[in-house]
Amino acid sequence: MSRKPYHREMSKTTWFLKQSRYQHYMLHEISSIFVAIYVGVLIVGLFRLAQGPDAWAGWLAAVTSPIGVIFHIIVFIFAIIHTTSWFKAVPQAMRIQRGEEIVPGKLIIGAHYGVWAAVSVVVLLVAGVA
Amino acid sequence: MARSAKAVPWFVFAAGGTVIAFILPVMVFVTGLAPAIGLFGDALSYETMHAFVSNWLIKLILLGIIGLAAWHAAHRLRVCAHDFGIRADGPVSIAVYGLAGIATLLTIIALLMI
Repeated sequence: MSRKPYHREMSKTTWFLKQSRYQHYMLHEISSIFVAIYVGVLIVGLFRLAQGPDAWAGWLAAVTSPIGVIFHIIVFIFAIIHTTSWFKAVPQAMRIQRGEEIVPGKLIIGAHYGVWAAVSVVVLLVAGVA
Repeated sequence: MARSAKAVPWFVFAAGGTVIAFILPVMVFVTGLAPAIGLFGDALSYETMHAFVSNWLIKLILLGIIGLAAWHAAHRLRVCAHDFGIRADGPVSIAVYGLAGIATLLTIIALLMI
C-alpha cells in the first residue's frame, strides 16, 4: 500500500509574504542586515578618525552626502523596528515575580520604554555638550 | 542536565539585542542624521571627536556597543539565511561569525590607534 503524502506548496524564499505575522518577523530579522552595514560604517569612521583630520573630513562628507543620509534614514527606521520588536518580546523572556504575583508584561515593556527614553536623552546631551 | 555550549552565544545574542535596542536609534541619529541637519554644531568636528574617543572609558563603551552589535547581527543573519532558503548552515555560520570576529578585531585596532 503506498500513500502519497500531502505536501503543502511553500516557496523557500517568499514564504513570509503570505501572512502579516511572518512579514513582521522577517522585518525584524532583516533589520540585522542594516545593523551589520552600520557597524561597518562606524568601524571605517574610527579608522578615519585615527588617520587624521583630512581622513575624518572625508568620512563626514560621505555620511552627509545624499546617499549617506538616505542610508542612515533606512538604518534609523530599522533600528527602531528592532527596538520595538525586542521590547515586545521581553515579557516572554523575562518573568519577574513579586511575592505571589507575576509582574504584568505591560509594566515591564513600559519600564523598557522609559529607560530607552532616558538613555536617548543622555546620549543627546553628551553629543550636544561634547 | 547536560550542559550546552549554546549558552555563551545565546548570552551574547541577548546582551547584544538589548544593548542595541536601547542605544542604536539615538546613535544612528547622532552619527548619521544630526550632522546632515547641522545639529550640535561642531560636536562631530575632528578635534572634539578625537578628544572624546581618546577617553579610555569611551573606548571601552564603543567596543562593547560595536562588538555586541556585530555578534548579535551575525546570529540574526545566520537565521535570515535559513529563512531565505539557504540551508548550508555550516558555511553560513563560519561566514557570519567570522565577519563578526573580524569586525571586533578591527574595532580594537582602530581604537588602539586613536
